[in-house]
Amino acid sequence: MSTQDKVQINKLPTGVPGLDEIVGGGLPEFSFNIIAGAPGSGKTTLAHQFVFANATPERPALYFTVLGESTIKMLRYQQQYTFFDPSKLPGSIRFINLSQVVLEKDLGAVLDQITKEVEKASPSVVVVDSFRTMVRKPESDMDLQSFIQRLALFLASWQATTFLIGEYAEEELRDNPIFTVADGLFWLRQTAERNSIVRKLQVIKLRGQDSVPGLHTFRITDAGVQAFSRTFGLTAHKRNPPGGRRLSFGIAELDKMLDGGVPEGDSILVAGSSGTGKSVLATQFIAEGTRQGEPGIIAVFEERPEAYALRASNLGLDLETPQKDGKLTILYLRPLDLSVDETMQSILDAVQKIGAKRLVIDSLAGFEMALSPGFRADFRESLYRMIFALTAIGVTILSTVEVDESFTEFPFSTYSISFLCDDIIRMRYVSIDGQLRKIMVVIKMRGGNHAKDIREYEITSKGVVILGKRLTNFQALISGVPVHSDRPGSTEEPALDTGIEHKT
Amino acid sequence: MTATPGMRDLAHRLLIYEAGADNASEPMEPPALRVYEKLRLSLGEFVGVAGFQSLASRALTLSRAEVPSLRAARVAADGSLQGLGNIETQFEMGKDLAGDGEIVLIARMLGLLRLFLGEALTLSLLRNAWPGEVFDGRNSVHGRKA
Repeated sequence: MSTQDKVQINKLPTGVPGLDEIVGGGLPEFSFNIIAGAPGSGKTTLAHQFVFANATPERPALYFTVLGESTIKMLRYQQQYTFFDPSKLPGSIRFINLSQVVLEKDLGAVLDQITKEVEKASPSVVVVDSFRTMVRKPESDMDLQSFIQRLALFLASWQATTFLIGEYAEEELRDNPIFTVADGLFWLRQTAERNSIVRKLQVIKLRGQDSVPGLHTFRITDAGVQAFSRTFGLTAHKRNPPGGRRLSFGIAELDKMLDGGVPEGDSILVAGSSGTGKSVLATQFIAEGTRQGEPGIIAVFEERPEAYALRASNLGLDLETPQKDGKLTILYLRPLDLSVDETMQSILDAVQKIGAKRLVIDSLAGFEMALSPGFRADFRESLYRMIFALTAIGVTILSTVEVDESFTEFPFSTYSISFLCDDIIRMRYVSIDGQLRKIMVVIKMRGGNHAKDIREYEITSKGVVILGKRLTNFQALISGVPVHSDRPGSTEEPALDTGIEHKT
Repeated sequence: MTATPGMRDLAHRLLIYEAGADNASEPMEPPALRVYEKLRLSLGEFVGVAGFQSLASRALTLSRAEVPSLRAARVAADGSLQGLGNIETQFEMGKDLAGDGEIVLIARMLGLLRLFLGEALTLSLLRNAWPGEVFDGRNSVHGRKA
């Protein structure tokens, strides 16, 4: 069958930020869906968002409430969400209470009542909240499975997209015949991990289109449910592979060490212990980008944006003007119980908003500490997904990471994330002639050559300044406690490595 | 605490509207009962019979404190209002003679709706039961002019 012979399934907006991406572009029109989860997991709010996003006076939504929460109280609370538009009631959205029918009659009567209302209103959306509470009478002529089967058939014929909301525990998912009827099955969970609550959403089933598999974090805020796709909403974006340019740090000697700069679209790790100038280097990277007309994002976790910008100005780097011009955003991300996906979504939103080409994450340690404890286990995996997604669209990412200085080892990161990085710059202290001095070395550049030189640098009022030539009159520099060698000082230009990759 | 002036004003408007809707060819219920019945039908749909019954009972209890003659009235299990006919009503079309009990009862019901659902949603629901002209010049249940 050719593509043009196939039926075209319209996709309806879910009204839930992030969920359209997860369900593959929107919810299939006329689909029969079940939203399941424990009380308080956000089922009703999710259904309301869909209803408010799709109901019109011509094709209204019918929202059947059964037993459980009082409708007045439900509306009292739901209208606190920003998506709730009171003017849509009752012209576009009608709430119909079926509790009397359920209490006095059986499921057959409930079905009759729903049928009557649907035939009268010809709705585009039907919600039954909560269908599970209808099973009250064991002697009912119709069991819940038959009820749902008949309801699904009827509502599909009447061209309604339907949500049934039910309270189900995790273990009830398996072998439940009710779920076989549904075209879509959405499962909402909330679990306590240490002192934090973690909410996750799973599209267990969605007929007719590809949804993003796995558990997606979601949060309920004033705006209602917001979902965070594991693909960070980038699957729908056209890939914009890097163009092979080299991005300058604005530090000529460092650019030389990098064989002309950082390859566009790379992920760079700047590792070093406290005070070695990682943030200074990161700031110079961003400032040079904005100077060259490349918008940038700095995600900070350990100091506030104002302080960050002030410190930059002390180094002669102007972060205020590009912020005012919309070319730079400094994100301060440190709320409690942050999920890794929503942190990354904030970064991605900012990147997309200003079309950022450079992104600084300062630092990975601060990032991890800002996360809810339950999400820290996923940190590396989530970081991998974000770096992959962003670099694929041409964003160059510089992350700083603090490493414990040791005089016996030369670690690049405490996170075992160096495999995520294309390039690594290592900064460290060394003890020379009774002074604590600083050295820098390019450890790896996946995309090509780089200098092997170990260079001394200082942090001055102009930022990181690389001094002189490579240090040739010392042995064991990277140990931090070098010894003078007998060799005289070198006058050579920095030598370029020929692609030898260091083990990371 | 008594029914607020804004609620009384809105209740009065609804009563005047229903009085004006009298059709001489048919025996009509008192305007207050007609307002009440419209509220029962439109609200009962989404809050359910029991929901409406409890709301109306609360409104009646509050009203009795202001208008003792309402002690004769009661809300039945199906939410309908009974015993209002025993109260002498002086409401006549075109005259500002609505019985205080009726106004207070309707005002109390509207007040409860506003308390629970807020102003915007309350007006949305009322606009579904009565034509727009009843609310002309009103943007709120406080009676602010448009």
